[in-house]
Amino acid sequence: MRKSWLQGYILKRLLYAVIIAWGIVTITFILIRIGPNSPADKYLANIAARGQDVAQVTAAIESRYGLDKPIIVQYGDYLMHLAQGDLGWSFSTSMPVIDLIGKHWIYSFQLIFLSSLLAAIIGILLGMYSAVKQYSKIDYIISTFSFAGISIPNFWLGVMLILLFSVKLGWFKVFYDTTLPLLSLENLKALVLPVFTLGTGMVAGYVRYTRSAMLDNLRKAFVTTARAKGLPERTVIGKHVFRNAMLPLVTIIMFDLGSIVFGGAYLTEIIFGIPGLGQISFNAVFANDYPVVIAITLIGTFLALLVNLITDIAYTYFDPRIRYE
Amino acid sequence: MNNSRSAESRPVRIHGNRRLFLYYWNRTKQNKLAIAGLGFILFLILLALIGPFFTADPTHVDFAERNVPPLGFSTEESIYDIKTNAFTVNLIEGTWKHPLGTDGKGRDMLAMLISGARISLEVGLLATLIAICIGALIGVLSAYLGGWWDNVLMRFTDIMMTFPFFLLLVLIIFMFGPSLTLIVLVIGLTGWTGAARLIRSEALSLRTREFITAARALGASDARIVIRHLIPNVASLIIVMATLSIPGVILAESALSFIGLGDPSQTSWGIILNDGQKSLDTAWWVAVEPGIMLFFTVLAFNFLGDGLRDAFDPRSNLDAR
Amino acid sequence: MTDSTILEVQDLKTYFFTRRGAVKAVDGIDFSLKKGECLCLVGESGCGKSVTVLSLLRLVAAPGRIVSGQVHYNNVDLVHCSEEKLRGIRGGDIAMIFQDAQSAFNPVLTIGDQIAEQMTIHGSIDRQAVKNKGIELLKEMNIPEPDRVWDSFPHQLSGGMKQRAMIAMSLSCDPKILIADEPTTAVDVTIKAQILDILHTLKEKRGMSLIFVTHDLGIVADIGDRAQVIYGGKSIEMASVSEIINNPGHPYTKGLIACLPDSSTDSERLASIPGTAPNPIDLPEGCPFHPRCAQVMDICRHVVPKQTIISETHTVNCHLFG
Repeated sequence: MRKSWLQGYILKRLLYAVIIAWGIVTITFILIRIGPNSPADKYLANIAARGQDVAQVTAAIESRYGLDKPIIVQYGDYLMHLAQGDLGWSFSTSMPVIDLIGKHWIYSFQLIFLSSLLAAIIGILLGMYSAVKQYSKIDYIISTFSFAGISIPNFWLGVMLILLFSVKLGWFKVFYDTTLPLLSLENLKALVLPVFTLGTGMVAGYVRYTRSAMLDNLRKAFVTTARAKGLPERTVIGKHVFRNAMLPLVTIIMFDLGSIVFGGAYLTEIIFGIPGLGQISFNAVFANDYPVVIAITLIGTFLALLVNLITDIAYTYFDPRIRYE
Repeated sequence: MNNSRSAESRPVRIHGNRRLFLYYWNRTKQNKLAIAGLGFILFLILLALIGPFFTADPTHVDFAERNVPPLGFSTEESIYDIKTNAFTVNLIEGTWKHPLGTDGKGRDMLAMLISGARISLEVGLLATLIAICIGALIGVLSAYLGGWWDNVLMRFTDIMMTFPFFLLLVLIIFMFGPSLTLIVLVIGLTGWTGAARLIRSEALSLRTREFITAARALGASDARIVIRHLIPNVASLIIVMATLSIPGVILAESALSFIGLGDPSQTSWGIILNDGQKSLDTAWWVAVEPGIMLFFTVLAFNFLGDGLRDAFDPRSNLDAR
Repeated sequence: MTDSTILEVQDLKTYFFTRRGAVKAVDGIDFSLKKGECLCLVGESGCGKSVTVLSLLRLVAAPGRIVSGQVHYNNVDLVHCSEEKLRGIRGGDIAMIFQDAQSAFNPVLTIGDQIAEQMTIHGSIDRQAVKNKGIELLKEMNIPEPDRVWDSFPHQLSGGMKQRAMIAMSLSCDPKILIADEPTTAVDVTIKAQILDILHTLKEKRGMSLIFVTHDLGIVADIGDRAQVIYGGKSIEMASVSEIINNPGHPYTKGLIACLPDSSTDSERLASIPGTAPNPIDLPEGCPFHPRCAQVMDICRHVVPKQTIISETHTVNCHLFG
């Protein structure tokens, strides 16, 4: 099927993403810059210790980074640089923001990738099983666990896992070991607790969504048709019902993926000391390092928008009935 | 058609209608988990209201009684004795004085948890109330003003929806200092997007319905239509949405406190948990207990919200099995 | 079972078990189908005729369950045989078409996929041969541009097209019996005529047996050889179509015939049977029709009437003939 309208649609959506990104940059910028803190704050103790005049040195630092200009000028400068792909300079780590992100994104990525993948596989399988065996004992057990899973605060779960497996049993280290090579078994082992922490809530959510999407479709007429054709139950469920149930699921899973950077992954990184984007943006907030905060917020948001766009486009292939205006 | 039948099939007004309330109550009652959730929430409210009269001051510090385990548990505490230059090991057992133990400063856990219950409920209810009010206002305005206004308001809603909410919370609280009031305000002021969209779409679909046209024809003003027709019609949706968004708010406050941005003048579950995380090896219960409370509270609201959604959903067939 | 009988249904009962009690959708139905004939199952909506045909292939979904009865086909009892054996017969020897082709096709698969799937599952392996045969069938159903339709999704076709594609799909494995569950209810009059025409031709050309479920006696007169009237989940009258139309025995059947618009009289008003179809959760005692029957007797209120043979081709379950 030709989809000539799709190009215009993608363009429109990208433009829209830029507008939203601009809105978010603006809100973040204003919030940070009207706050009482300054990126120069972190030098104050040193300056005072050296017996220099705090106000004078602060002014010097601020002037060096252009922080003494009126806020509207700073905002204009920032947008100008951003438009050229320059994310700015990180005050607290003394390196370009883009390099900082380049160094740390992989830690977030491995955590999110592993958790999402495992959660999607386990959640969908359990949800399908639960739906097919509706009202059975196993269905009740899976449903109860999934309710517990969506209700358990994941930061507390993380602490409990540390308490049990690190403090009491000593199976894992308390904190994620950053010295390990990324592609090694030890690294995978170090990720077990964080992935479990982040993945539990996701599994529970996917079980619930899959179950209800499957149940919605299990009662449809085409399922009877499929059975009447002589298809084995495996094909009826796995192909006919699942292909239809998958449609809402894809949206939910992708949306999760888009928003996870600042959702569960954020806290998980902090609890386990994983130096991912969540952790560095958290540290940057405390260091008044606003270019880092804005950049990571922006990346997170853009990622979410991009993932949503990809989902919508993918949707047109999964569901032939969809046509966007 | 006789009279009793027509009364049943007529669309029913929600406010002030006891029969409708009973109808929904009966549907909700069929869901045992929802009732259990409701029971737990009521218990929690009661605990937060009258608990403080029966327990110690949650801020009372007593180093002589620090790290006392809960009843039925015991821990070993090693104390360095400067005279003998050796460690002596003390066995500490739980006492009735502190049934849930004490933390590292000797504060009574039970009293702290009860204080935490009050804070969680306050934050959850207040922030949700603010969010729903703003959401209702924006949704109704958007639907009724239409055109340019609708576009602007909805794009703004989109931006707010896309904004990494927790990061925003961290940022604002860090900038302006951790206070419970600010936390409630920020969560309330950012959490309205879902309600706004829901109410807008409901209002838009209502606008085209016959009974609204009829009300218009009879000369009802827009304000009157909103109050008398729209709000009662979306009330069930709002109740479900509010019930299901309260646990998210409670979790957000706890998470914030957990990472050290909680209001230090208050004893919330997140703050206790933050303390407890640092003393996992000496006093595990300090981290375990507030988490359990948090878990059951969230679970209770989820159960109740789920039950209410099924009860309000005319399509859900509660009779099948 | 005589030689010419291809399918025999005995005392079929299918109940739906709900919280409010057992819904007796099918409560004792017997009939037999002969080779090459068209048997019509007639009744008002909710009388259990659709559940009856679904039960023949064990397609009733939970909470429904076949509680008793036998369906004999080719020395196999379809109610009690293994899943595997049943799957070979479903779509193979016995195919089915449904009322609403719109919802009976899977919306995310092409028509071609769905037809090919049925042939593949019943043993055709060569993809090209499958496609050729499928397109041939579409052509036989008078579908224009069969190649394009083969690659279309259900939502891209009109209702009548979908219904015809559905018939093509059901024929893809050359079934001996075709069960049609109100295939003309959801389409307009011209399409209805076309579909009836197609089914009639198929029956004549392929010697296929047809079970046709309908509430429309006009269709019965048009296409049927014999008719089985169902009321309250029970068989109440079985006869050749001409006997049913010209000499109905059961008061309910008489009522149905009286409801037909009669072109020979100028009467503007249609007769109707007073009252509504019985609630299958709370069927009346005795004859299910007695609360609406004009000729009700005392015995009707307490005793379920047994089958009475009126002629070789006509049986009726009514105390009037007892």
